[in-house]
Amino acid sequence: MADVASIRPAILIEGLTKRYGSGSAAVDALKGVDMTVWPGEVVGLIGPSGSGKTTLLKCLGAVIEPTAGRFTLGGEMIFDGGWKTGDLRALRRDRIGFVFQAPYLIPFLDATDNVALLPMLAGVPNPQARATALEMLGALDVQHRAQARIAELSGGEQQRVAIARALANKPPIILADEPTAPLDSERALTVVKILNRLAQEFRTAIIVVTHDEKIIPTFKRIYHIRDGKTYEEAGEGRAI
Amino acid sequence: MINLAGRDIAHHLKSYLLTGLGLGLLIGVTLTMAGVYRGMVDDAKVLLRAVDADVWVVQQDTLGPFAEPSSVPDDLYRALLGLPGVAQAGNVAYLTMQVSHAGKSQRVMVAGFEPGKPGGPAFLVAGRPIARAHYEAVADAKTGLRVGDVVRIRRNDYTVVGLTRRMVSSNGDPMLFIPLKDAQEAQFLKDNDAIVEDRQRLTANPAINRPGQPGVLDAVQAIQTSSHKVNAVLLRLQPGADARAVAGAIARWQRFTAYTRDDMEEILVAKLIATAAKQIGLFLAILAVVSAAIVAFIIYTMTLGKIKEIAVLKLIGTRNRTIAAMIMQEALGLGVIGFFVGKFAATLWAPAFPKYVLLETGDAGRAFVLTLVVCALASVLAIRAALKIDPAEAIGG
Repeated sequence: MADVASIRPAILIEGLTKRYGSGSAAVDALKGVDMTVWPGEVVGLIGPSGSGKTTLLKCLGAVIEPTAGRFTLGGEMIFDGGWKTGDLRALRRDRIGFVFQAPYLIPFLDATDNVALLPMLAGVPNPQARATALEMLGALDVQHRAQARIAELSGGEQQRVAIARALANKPPIILADEPTAPLDSERALTVVKILNRLAQEFRTAIIVVTHDEKIIPTFKRIYHIRDGKTYEEAGEGRAI
Repeated sequence: MINLAGRDIAHHLKSYLLTGLGLGLLIGVTLTMAGVYRGMVDDAKVLLRAVDADVWVVQQDTLGPFAEPSSVPDDLYRALLGLPGVAQAGNVAYLTMQVSHAGKSQRVMVAGFEPGKPGGPAFLVAGRPIARAHYEAVADAKTGLRVGDVVRIRRNDYTVVGLTRRMVSSNGDPMLFIPLKDAQEAQFLKDNDAIVEDRQRLTANPAINRPGQPGVLDAVQAIQTSSHKVNAVLLRLQPGADARAVAGAIARWQRFTAYTRDDMEEILVAKLIATAAKQIGLFLAILAVVSAAIVAFIIYTMTLGKIKEIAVLKLIGTRNRTIAAMIMQEALGLGVIGFFVGKFAATLWAPAFPKYVLLETGDAGRAFVLTLVVCALASVLAIRAALKIDPAEAIGG
């Protein structure tokens, strides 16, 4: 029997708009964006500078509220007026993983605690949170660096720890903002490979915002964003 | 949950400790300034405690002998001893002056007293009390003199036979006790040229140098070259005697002004050092405000240095109170380090000050609480800034 959750889109947005400012100074960053991402799927989001990528990512990350449109996460409507700041914080903590261009790890925590912090914030006891963290670090092949300080990790290791952190609470979606930008080709492709594997393993929907020509051919589906609107395109989906 | 403040401190331990050290030195200066103020007040009271007199008799309508000049006859004590309740009476003469020893000049308060009567040093830490009628001295240890040293006062040399401690004037000058007669001579003695000139003037005055009455001139000249004045008479009362009643009787019947010990303390603290104390008090207040501003600035800057980390923490769902607690704990930690460094520094350098610096435990306790309060308040500014950080900053754009 098919899992009911698995047939719902992980992310479904319809007619999403975002307007900054008002009156004559108003700027429409998003002008009716539509997007569907399924569990276990990795899609690319590509667009030139100023096209609205970051605004879309902020809306998807429950950081800013869209002006209009519909945004559902695993079938649940977000920003329908009933969401308070604390609810959005819990949503980000439990159901959305973030991977940034720079790893943005907390420099005063070691690799394990950077990952364990998320479950701890969700109220998971420390030993259990650390066990989860070690499991995630193991999934990213950096368990041998578990006790290392962030400054002692290489760029690639830091990015893996950041991905492990994003996965720590096993969120249904991960938003990755230029995750391969600081990496060389080999490491960039390794990160994409990892994201694809994790998407399959954890049934996580992953949106990768990128300009990186090396990894664009790896996506099976790509959303182009231009002037605040999205256009879907089938990707090459090349095996890595 | 991980203690974020503890981890952040451990990560920046060196810079955190150095910041705490800098803050501590500032707190140390503030504590020292409070100690200077306390020391000034204590200096004003210490002489009163040491001489242990119940009533001070001074020239009528003066605030003598410290706040105003006072001169009373040196035989007044006999009349005072006859008053009901008076057990002991002793003449004293005080003069602040420069004395020389081993080629160095030093400012001291010379106190003339009659051994065995009120007005002498309360205790000795070395040597013996003054036993001879002339040219012996007991010095406060702060003068740097030692037993056996010879110190020059005016034209005479005095041998230091004993040392006492914590006997200073209200200005903080160490005291040098000498026999009363010597102090009177030092206070009123004229130089030879002045004596010769006075004699010539008197001899030329026909009203004094009358033909056939040479005794008049001799008597006047003798009066002019000797002193029968002292600055005050100190009384110790019999057990149970009322100091205020005795002082009242002296004022009424003897035509002198008499102060109880409380009155003298009031004169010394509220009048003699009032302006200086206010000056230091105001400076202390300004220093405290400046310290608070610097603490606030340090904590604010420390927080602004973590904008990206705080944005990421907020983005991944960290509660505001967790972030606020982190900042508050770091601020309080800084305050604790700063206080102990400051207390240690103030204790270390206080003895090097030329005047007494009194670091009271109560002041330290109040300073500790105040430091924590200031740090907590200062962190509020930083917490407000941290809570204003938009989690979207972590995403950039």
